This record gives sequence, C-alpha cells and structure tokens, in this order.
Amino acid sequence: MASAAAATAAAAAVAASIRERQTVALKRMLNFNVPHIKNSTGEPVWKVLIYDRFGQDIISPLLSVKELRDMGITLHLLLHSDRDPIPDVPAVYFVMPTEENIDRMCQDLRNQLYESYYLNFISAISRSKLEDIANAALAASAVTQVAKVFDQYLNFITLEDDMFVLCNQNKELVSYRAINRPDITDTEMETVMDTIVDSLFCFFVTLGAVPIIRCSRGTAAEMVAVKLDKKLRENLRDARNSLFTGDTLGAGQFSFQRPLLVLVDRNIDLATPLHHTWTYQALVHDVLDFHLNRVNLEESSGVENSPAGARPKRKNKKSYDLTPVDKFWQKHKGSPFPEVAESVQQELESYRAQEDEVKRLKSIMGLEGEDEGAISMLSDNTAKLTSAVSSLPELLEKKRLIDLHTNVATAVLEHIKARKLDVYFEYEEKIMSKTTLDKSLLDIISDPDAGTPEDKMRLFLIYYISTQQAPSEADLEQYKKALTDAGCNLNPLQYIKQWKAFTKMASAPASYGSTTTKPMGLLSRVMNTGSQFVMEGVKNLVLKQQNLPVTRILDNLMEMKSNPETDDYRYFDPKMLRGNDSSVPRNKNPFQEAIVFVVGGGNYIEYQNLVDYIKGKQGKHILYGCSELFNATQFIKQVKYIPLLFVAIGIFQKRERKPLTHLNQLQPKPSSYTKIRCCHGRLRKP
Amino acid sequence: MAVDITLLFRASVKTVKTRNKALGVAVGGGVDGSRDELFRRSPRPKGDFSSRAREVISHIGKLRDFLLEHRKDYINAYSHTMSEYGRMTDTERDQIDQDAQIFMRTCSEAIQQLRAEAHKEIHSQQVKEHRTAVLDFIEDYLKRVCKLYSEQRAIRVKRVVDKKRLSKLEPEPNTKTRESTSSEKVSQSPSKDSEENPATEEHPEKILAETQPELGTWGDGKGEDELSPEEIQMFEQENQRLIGEMNSLFDEVRQIEGRVVEISRLQEIFTEKVLQQEAEIDSIHQLVVGATENIKEGNEDIREVPHL
Repeated sequence: MASAAAATAAAAAVAASIRERQTVALKRMLNFNVPHIKNSTGEPVWKVLIYDRFGQDIISPLLSVKELRDMGITLHLLLHSDRDPIPDVPAVYFVMPTEENIDRMCQDLRNQLYESYYLNFISAISRSKLEDIANAALAASAVTQVAKVFDQYLNFITLEDDMFVLCNQNKELVSYRAINRPDITDTEMETVMDTIVDSLFCFFVTLGAVPIIRCSRGTAAEMVAVKLDKKLRENLRDARNSLFTGDTLGAGQFSFQRPLLVLVDRNIDLATPLHHTWTYQALVHDVLDFHLNRVNLEESSGVENSPAGARPKRKNKKSYDLTPVDKFWQKHKGSPFPEVAESVQQELESYRAQEDEVKRLKSIMGLEGEDEGAISMLSDNTAKLTSAVSSLPELLEKKRLIDLHTNVATAVLEHIKARKLDVYFEYEEKIMSKTTLDKSLLDIISDPDAGTPEDKMRLFLIYYISTQQAPSEADLEQYKKALTDAGCNLNPLQYIKQWKAFTKMASAPASYGSTTTKPMGLLSRVMNTGSQFVMEGVKNLVLKQQNLPVTRILDNLMEMKSNPETDDYRYFDPKMLRGNDSSVPRNKNPFQEAIVFVVGGGNYIEYQNLVDYIKGKQGKHILYGCSELFNATQFIKQVKYIPLLFVAIGIFQKRERKPLTHLNQLQPKPSSYTKIRCCHGRLRKP
Repeated sequence: MAVDITLLFRASVKTVKTRNKALGVAVGGGVDGSRDELFRRSPRPKGDFSSRAREVISHIGKLRDFLLEHRKDYINAYSHTMSEYGRMTDTERDQIDQDAQIFMRTCSEAIQQLRAEAHKEIHSQQVKEHRTAVLDFIEDYLKRVCKLYSEQRAIRVKRVVDKKRLSKLEPEPNTKTRESTSSEKVSQSPSKDSEENPATEEHPEKILAETQPELGTWGDGKGEDELSPEEIQMFEQENQRLIGEMNSLFDEVRQIEGRVVEISRLQEIFTEKVLQQEAEIDSIHQLVVGATENIKEGNEDIREVPHL
C-alpha cells in the first residue's frame, strides 16, 4: 500500500515541471543555500546578486525583478561590470567557472567589495580553479569571508514548464553549423560534445532522475549518448559523491518508472525548421524577434503630418515578457492564429463590460441625495463598490495583458498578410503530407506578391526534401532560375542537396503523416464582429494533428512499438552494472515520462507537436529540449555558410589535422567523425 | 541538486597554504594573516548606515514579539469568564494599543531620518540604490508588523460593537415601557393643564382618559378602573405602530452600520492609493513647472528673433 502511494507520489514528483524545480533551486541559492520558507513577519535580510551572462540567461525567464526583490536582493549586477564596494552586505555569486570569471572573483576578493561571499557555480568547478580562488582568498586574508561554495548544476535554460534549451551565450559553439561543418577538428568536436553533455548532466541532476537513453546510430546524437551514459555511470558508481542518491533524489528513489531520454539528431528532419507555421507561439518565434520568452516589437509611431524636412517617423521599440503568469498566453500559445485573434477580441469585450460595470456604479453614486428611491439600492451598491475597487488591480492587469497580446497579434497579422504566410503554410502542409497540390510550385515561387525570397526558398527546400524522387535536371534548372529571379541565394539548396544524398542511403526519408488542413472558409466570425483583427483574405485554416518525425520516433520508443525506423536505436542504461550497450531494451513496459532532446537545434513547431501528441495521453509527460532554438531565418543563415561538403562519401581516412585558415578552402579534411556525422542514416557496411 | 563544496574549498585553502609555505612564497596568510584579518575588519567602514538599519530592525522585531506575546490574551473575548491567569482588562488593552502606536511612530520616524541621511556623502550610484532598497525593505517590515497590530485592534473593535449591539437588544421591552411611561408623563402635564382648561380641546381629555388606564395598570395610585375595549384596542394599535417604527429604524441603523464599514474599508484603500500617487503627482508637478518655464523662455527667444 505504502509503496503504491509512494510510487504515484514519485511519479508526480518526477513529473513536476522542470521550471518549478529550477526555480526552487534558484530560490534556495538566493536564500543563502537554505530552503526558502515564506514567513510573513520575518525580518528582512538583504543581499547583492552578482551573475555573469550565463547566469543572467538562466535567471531571467524564471524570476522577475520583483521576485528577486522579494527574496531580499537589493542590487543585481553583472560580474564583469564596474562595481563599487558596498560595506556590510553579503554577496551571492552565480557564475560559470571559467578562467575570466574566476579572475574577476579573485579581484573582488582582493578589493574587499562585500562583507561575505556565497559562491555558486552554474556547473561543477574543477579542483585547480577552486585552488585559485583559495589562493586569492588567502592573499586577501578573506578566507573567513567566503561563507559557502556550491556547485549548482543548473547549466541549462528553462523556457516553459516542459521545455529547455542548453545555452544562449555560446550557442555558436554548439550550433547546427558547428556540429555539422565538415572542417571540424576532433578536439573541437570533443569540446562541443562535452558542453552538451555537461548541460544534459546538470539537467538530470536537477530533475533528480537517471534516464534510460535511446539514440539513433551513426549520428552526433549517438556521441552525446555515449558520453552522457559514461558520465552518469561514473557518478552513480562514486557512492560517496553521487548526486542521485539519498535525499537529493527524494521520492524518485522509489519510482519504478524511470524516464526515457530520446536523443535525436537534427538531420533526421530538416523540413520542420524551415516550415511555416500557424500556431501562436511558433508564429511569434518565426516572424518576430522572440528570445528567452521576451518579444521585441518595433512600432512605428503614428503618421506625422509634419512639413517636409521635419523629423522622420520614429520607431518605438517595445518589448514584452511572455510569462507563465500570463493566463491568456498559457491558454493560447498552441492555438491556431485565427482562434487567438478571436480570443483576444473576446477578452477585450469582457474587459470592457467589467469596466462599464464599474463606471455605472460611479453614476449611481452620483444620484445620492437626489432620488430617495435610490437609497435602498445604495446598500447593495456600497458593497459592490468595495468589491469593484478592490478588483481594480486585477482589472488593470487584465488590460495590460490584452494590450500586450493585441500588439503582438497585430504585428504577427501584419506579417501574415504581407507575406501571405497562410498560403505557404497550407501548401507546405500539403507537400509534407503528400496530398495533391492544386497550384504548381513554380507559380508560387514566381508570384511577386507572395512572401519574401526567404519564404520562397523555404518552400522550395521543403519540397525538395519531401519529394521521393528528385526533380529532373530541367525542372531543377527552372526552379533555380525562378528562385534567383525572386532574389534568393542558392547556397542552402546546395547543402540540402548534399544532405539529401546522404539520407538516401538510409531508409525512406521521414514522412510527415497523411492528414490535411481544412480551410474553414474565408468568412469567419472574426470579420463579422468588426474586430480589429481584420483577417480579410486570410484563410482560416484548421490544423489537423499530424505527427512530425520526431514525435513519431518518440511514440515508437515510448510505447515500445516495433518500427524499422527505431528498432536499431541504441539502448543505454547507466544504472546497469554491465556497461555495454545492447540493442535489446530490457524494459518492456511503455514509459510514462520522456525527454526528447534534439542535438543540433530545435524549434517551437516540434515542441508544439509533442505537446499536442501528449495531450491525448493521460498521465504521460514529455519534456522537450534542444541544443539551441532557431527559427527558419536563423537556420537558413547557418546552413548558407556551411562550406560545401565534398561529395565523396567513401573517404573515412583519418588525416593530419591542419588548421584551416580560410573557410572557403575546399580542401576537405574529413575528421574521424565524418564516419558518424555526415551519414545521416545507416552506415553502408563495406 | 546543488552540492555543497565549502568543505572542499576549506581543504583547498589548507593545501594552498601548505604549498605556499613549502615554496616559501610570502603570503598574507598564515598566523599573521588571521590577525591581519581581524585588524583589517575593524577599520573597515562598518557603515553607520547598516548598523543603524539593523538597530531599527531589531526594534521592530521587539515590537513584533511584544504584540505576538500578548496577542492571545488581547483577542480573548471571554476573559471575564476565564481565570485570573488569562485575563486582560480593557485598560491593559488600551495601554498596549497606545504603546504600540508610539513605538510605530518612532520607528517610522527613524526610517525617515535614515532615508534623509542615507544619500549624504555617498557618491556611488550602486550604494545609493542599495540603501534605498534596504530602507524599502525595512519599511515593508514595519508595515507588516503594523498589520498585525491593526488586525488585532480591528477584531477588538468589532467585538465591542457586537457586544453593544447585543446589549441593545435586551432592554427593548424596557425601553418601550420606559417610552410609554415617559409619554404618559408628558401627557400628564397637558392633562393637568387641561383640567384647568376643560373647554379647549377634547384631545387632552382623551389623553387624560388614555393615560389614566395606563396609570391604572401601573398602579400609579390614580386608581381609575375604566378600560373600555375600544381603548384597549387603540392602545394595542399604537403599540404595534411604535414597534413597527422602532423596527424599521433599527433596520436602517443596521444597514447604515454595514455601509459605514464598507466605506471605511474603501477609505483605507483610497488613502493608500492617494499616498502612492502623491509622489508621482509631485514629480508631475515639477515637470509641468519646468515645462511652463521652458515654454516661457522659448516664447521670449522667439520674440527676439524678428529683432535680429
């Protein structure tokens, strides 16, 4: 009985959102590494928070400035900024243990900036660096001032309850381009892999669970899996210092269910990063400047009818934070855009009704003394007035959110209308699901009104990726000409060609399911109610659930379905004593928890697809992570600059590393990793 | 989960110390170092500010402890039924209220003083910001403790009001009889007058007639036994009327009470908001004054232009 209860509690505990866990960990750190309990009559303690850019990126999506204030933080400063000595104040540091940071911290110690120091390292610090600090502390006679030193293991950024990215500051290091460029050296690859594995390790320490790892063969994901398995195994073996035992694991120790970690490589599906989308959050990410849950809008101030030569139109920059407190956002971030527009309209109307209610009370109040009959109504109204006044802050907050979403949705709508994104979306869905196309691709590409050159490039690339047979040379030339006429750069096409050639060796390229989108008709309720979201001419498309390749892979692995695509995925269990991989999964039951991690980058479309998939399944949870988040523009930029791979796949020799002085040097030097990296499918056995 | 490596750090410090000794590196550490550390600590500007801030905090803490200690007794409504041990008289309660208020006033004055002094002699922006934030925290703490006090007091006031209301209900029949006796006393005098002026009005006679049976029922010594059924009925009706009037008055009073409570709550909210906005309005005022002056100067400049 007890164990069953504990098991369910444990399952719930592991399912506790990663965002909550990281926030709790941060709050504990800010509370001088003691668990934080809210005490309404507690004495105030004040402290100063010092972070580096990594720490800033981790903290900013989770804690607002107000919440920091509530925790007693009077000042929050960047490590590498000019800081004045503030006497009598404890300082909490939250930094990465890099050389520069350590040097600066030692400098702080020497300059006696603060009264006491609580050092927290985002990922584990090495012994030698610790000694550097010890040295500086001794030299400055400040050893007793260093109150506590902690390894926080928080080296990842949580954006949603169930979504995380690895890092933001050094994302060039682990970008798609970095992993997939042909001129990468062994040592560089090691560094990249180590960075990724370190973050994933921190993630599992914070989650408090040891996963079962599955990955595809012959990809960068496999390398990550091997290293991660090794690291987890080492840590588990080391009984004294293991991070996964005792009270750190908590209830998870009793869990019979371990989560499944699915490591996939970006290269199994290059169409999704290029895809045009129709859901709110993904659209905001695709079309606007959306970064770490903050969206930056440029608003042009109204037309100024000033005489010639006067000031030009000024653009106001506004940025909004889309947080978990924002109920509208939480409800609608996965909804199709027309629904979002309608809902904003509805919210606005209900807000106006409430506002009118409050105003009406005001006029009734004014009747007092004039009308005897009104006095009997007054007794109710006084109470109503009190409740209205006390609900004012809530009303104001609602107004602010409505304004926010109106602005954001309007900006998105402008883009949709200007670039005809609905047309692209519909067409791409049709291509990806292999239904018949009513318009020829060439027409869309040559159409000067529809979309930017980039949109056209994306469309064509998706077509190229998804077709079973490559278009004939003549057709290809035609397309190329049309694209160049439209103003596109053809480099990405070259890369995709290469990629496609490699994937041809693998099993059939990822298919995208076979459902369609149904246009719901041009006339919608939105138009009829005269809303400000005039969706005239924009199709009201309804999304039908289809599983993207990543979702399909997850489904197979989580439900233990047999499928040629995933059957030969490697299997790692860090808890098993015998540390060699077997392809035979030991666990026969379907998993309740899964974490999908895409090595090489991911986006909100995949995330949304996974969320939709798991919504239908009771009691199951998915977390989505990727090494970086990019939208189509950023992805194309990366792909554009990957130097062309030379074609000969068969060359797997290990050659001497000579540093490339110029990226355009097309003297390809395949590293020993080419074997694994460039072939996005099964290795052809010689 | 975070890992505490403080011990590891201390161990590293030892290692470094021994290593440095072995290498013969001159370092500020070692036995001298610890003394140095002590010395270094004292002349370091301990900061008037922070020690005074801590003093204020400890005062507020004392107030809070004091309030919490006596809270149970204070709130206890049935103290008159309880034993000596838990009793608290009203005078004691008043004393607590007064003391608490004086204390809070001195604390907030101290905070204001600190605020005024905090920005003198300090040139660093960061230190200024830090001190402002610290003072905000202290004020917030004081507010929270004051809330404790005002909650207690509100409960007490409510109890008193409730008690009064209850105590009003009991003597209602008495008040009615008292009223009727007073009305009878009032009517007695005109009846006396009417005796002297019998021809003026029938009414006084009626009153006389009315009061007489009442006097009779009260055994006032007049000893008249005339009580016709119609007169009894009339008395009944009048009684009923009076009862109805009193009841409606009573209801209205209760309604008004309720409304007054609401209004007081509203006032609290409004005062809070007004105080908040005071600072903003001040700054707006400044801006507007500055703007008008700028415009004035601008106008003058413009006026000068044709003269050039």
